[in-house]
Amino acid sequence: LASPERRLGLLELGVLVAVAALALLFHLTLPRRSPDEASYRAVAEVLSREAKPGDVLLLFPWWTERARLFVPEGLPVVGYLGSDADPLERHPRIWVLGQPGLPRSGEGDFERAFLPGRTAVGTPRDFGPLRLSLHRNGRHRPTLFSSVDALASASVYLEGGNGVRLPCPFDGQAFRCPGGETRVAPEWHELKAQPRRCLWFAPPGGNRRLVAEFSQVPAGARLVLEGGLIWDRGWHHGPQLTPTRFGVEDVRTGRSLLRVDVPVGMEGLQRAEIAPEGGGPLALRIWSQSDRAELRELCLELLSQGPEGAP
Amino acid sequence: MSGTERTERVDRAIAWALFAAGFAALWATHGELGYVRDESVYFAAAETHAPWFKLLLRSPSLALGDPALVRFWEINHEHPVLMKSLFALSYAVFHQGLGWLRPDTALRLPAFAVGALVLPLSFLLGRALYGRKAGLFAALCFLLVPRQFFNAHISAFDVPIAAAWLLVVYCFWRAVSERRWWLYTGLAFGAALATKHNALFLPFVLTPFALYRAWTATRERPTARAWVWRFAAVYAAVAVLYLLLLVALGPERFLEKFLLLSPHTALFAGLGVGGAWLLWKLRPESEDAFRPLAAVQAMAVLGPVLFYVHWPYLWHHPVDRTAWYLAFHAQHNHYAWLYLGELLREPPFPLAYVVVKTALTVPVTIFVPMVLGLATVAVRALLPLSPALARRWPRVTFPEALVAVNAVASILIISHPNVPHFGGVKHWFPSMIFLGILAGLSVSRASDALLGLLRARKPDLPEWVAAAPLFALLLVSPLIATWRVHPYGTSYYSELAGGLPGAASLGMQRQFWSNNVTGVLPWLNANASRGARVWLHEVTGYAFHDYQRYGWMRSDLQPANGPADADIAVYQYHQEFREQEFNIWQAFGTTRPVTGLYVDETPQIVVYRRR
Repeated sequence: LASPERRLGLLELGVLVAVAALALLFHLTLPRRSPDEASYRAVAEVLSREAKPGDVLLLFPWWTERARLFVPEGLPVVGYLGSDADPLERHPRIWVLGQPGLPRSGEGDFERAFLPGRTAVGTPRDFGPLRLSLHRNGRHRPTLFSSVDALASASVYLEGGNGVRLPCPFDGQAFRCPGGETRVAPEWHELKAQPRRCLWFAPPGGNRRLVAEFSQVPAGARLVLEGGLIWDRGWHHGPQLTPTRFGVEDVRTGRSLLRVDVPVGMEGLQRAEIAPEGGGPLALRIWSQSDRAELRELCLELLSQGPEGAP
Repeated sequence: MSGTERTERVDRAIAWALFAAGFAALWATHGELGYVRDESVYFAAAETHAPWFKLLLRSPSLALGDPALVRFWEINHEHPVLMKSLFALSYAVFHQGLGWLRPDTALRLPAFAVGALVLPLSFLLGRALYGRKAGLFAALCFLLVPRQFFNAHISAFDVPIAAAWLLVVYCFWRAVSERRWWLYTGLAFGAALATKHNALFLPFVLTPFALYRAWTATRERPTARAWVWRFAAVYAAVAVLYLLLLVALGPERFLEKFLLLSPHTALFAGLGVGGAWLLWKLRPESEDAFRPLAAVQAMAVLGPVLFYVHWPYLWHHPVDRTAWYLAFHAQHNHYAWLYLGELLREPPFPLAYVVVKTALTVPVTIFVPMVLGLATVAVRALLPLSPALARRWPRVTFPEALVAVNAVASILIISHPNVPHFGGVKHWFPSMIFLGILAGLSVSRASDALLGLLRARKPDLPEWVAAAPLFALLLVSPLIATWRVHPYGTSYYSELAGGLPGAASLGMQRQFWSNNVTGVLPWLNANASRGARVWLHEVTGYAFHDYQRYGWMRSDLQPANGPADADIAVYQYHQEFREQEFNIWQAFGTTRPVTGLYVDETPQIVVYRRR
């Protein structure tokens, strides 16, 4: 019988040889799993030909952003930590550019998050390691109104605790309030990994509210208010920070329709929605408030949406 | 010449060859490495220190005054200056003086030498424990871990402190059985303290070994045992008295009262004199007990003395400036860090972080033997619990235990949930060298098993016939990985992670330290308009300047402070910085980059141009 040391040595030999063989296989096959520029260009050509206005390109795995270099300019590209589950409500059709052959691509996880409510259109096409597929988006909700797009039509002011209003003039790009710091403008920001083009709506501090009024908001199937503290602002915590509140009121009645409270330490996108009563255009007021303005950098969007799945 | 002498000569030759090969490999491959954030500061520090040495020769009285010391040594005083002084001297001699080397090569030359030193030292320690094959594997695998290979190039302190830690342990191991090495242990510890603050933990790792050795050596010698007790008692008493002083005075007054003539210095002097007298008494009773305790004494006395002497900035204000230095590291910022899809921003950090990160960043053909080697030593350490097994397996020896404890010491320290967790794996490099030695144990055993199989058919086969192919099989993948990821070493992830793409899907930190920007500098040089304002995100002002003066980047390009005043923005892809990328989208009016650095498909650097 072999000594324990020798038996252990044989076992180690077997393990090490097997591990080394697998590692070598990994390194020899890895370069082939990454697409070359020609594959990307072939995908881009298809997309320029076949993509329609309103389409979106979703990346899988979410981080494969090299595609941005090649995809036609007009086609939005979505890929962020968590984008597999993004409902992509604005988009009736979704192109998925996948690289299922990459190590740990997690195709099963992606499909579990992405496929519900989506219907494949045609069959996927392969371009080297790239796989392009088109899906009808059952989670689509047509956008009838977006406060980001309609900002120029708004009137913006600071409202004191006593109800006194201080108008914030529009300079063609942003509404800037007296004092210089407070503004309302459409901007790109991060809400817990997600890029959002939203309205910069940081509260002015104290009991004052920042308010934007829209007089002609079409009443769709529902009104949606989405927003949150940008970047790491939601993560910050400490006794000097105060909760952030934002909401939507009916200008005519003063009734609160939507309201979101963001406690200190809450990150990411918050959402509230309501089915509006009546069919006529609405006059709505978006507001934000926080007792202290420090690190309360809020970005939000008010949407009026048509029914789910509508073309 | 006897067989032993011949073996030693061969081993010495191997050790020198390893040093030379490591040094040459680092020198030959450093040219493609960008300047990491910290390195750019250390370059600036070294260039500030260098003129002081000239002033010291020209006008010593001026050079030794505190105003001159502050002027030349205050920069980056959060780190001691042994390595920075070496960078400075190398720069002054090889670049400014002789003109032999490019400035960045001259500044990095000491880093190559210190990094290369790990190879012979780990070979010698590994060989002594487990034979030549184990030592050789330990040495080779150190530079074949891509992140270690990367770090060994740069003018920073993480590989140097790993080398210094190894040197202290090596000296201590020899001090246990050889004359004079206790003195070398003290000197090595002083050098370690002068390299980086990790060294402060070394006495806590080594002293138990010294006490155990002294204890076992005096088992049958009550007089010697009594001196050992007294020695330990003096150390304990001094520690208690320092603690009492701290509690009684409070931290601020404790520092205020730490003067040349104060209870504080009296205690230190008492430790030095008392400890030395006790050792002098112990030595005739037991040389075996004397040696390890003398190493501890040398560390306790020479360590602080050398630390003070090596750092001119401390000379006029040793206490408050040392206190500031220690406080800086005790209260270090926590930088955001992506780990398994979560941004870690503050403690408590996951307990498994260090182990998981190690598993995902060490090539699997090195990591698995590390685990096997450590596991077998750990299991054998538990054998005394089972007499039946204990009879069949060799017990863990003193040096084996020393290696195993050092293999886990830094990992355990950094694993503490309140210790800052940024910086990839570099903070526990000291552990990696000892894990490499244990990997050598495992590979050596496997090689012997293979040799046994081969010799069953052909009994006169030489040893290397089994070892060479096994080494090649195990090290070819790390070699490929190192070659493929170079010079973007902070981005490397192992086969276990699924490489860089797998790690990106796992939600691991993509890169750090900003040096990957070199991947897009050729594009910048070719495409930026004359005088364009360029925002190199996360690249320090020092590094921007260095990239221009060392020929990486066109000198007409202007540094921008952010996307708002930039024509071109070069974004470092970090999850914690995504807001800054979207700020670029906002400022430039586009979401489309113009180029980028994508390593195995993973975005590392993304370049935008203003519309």
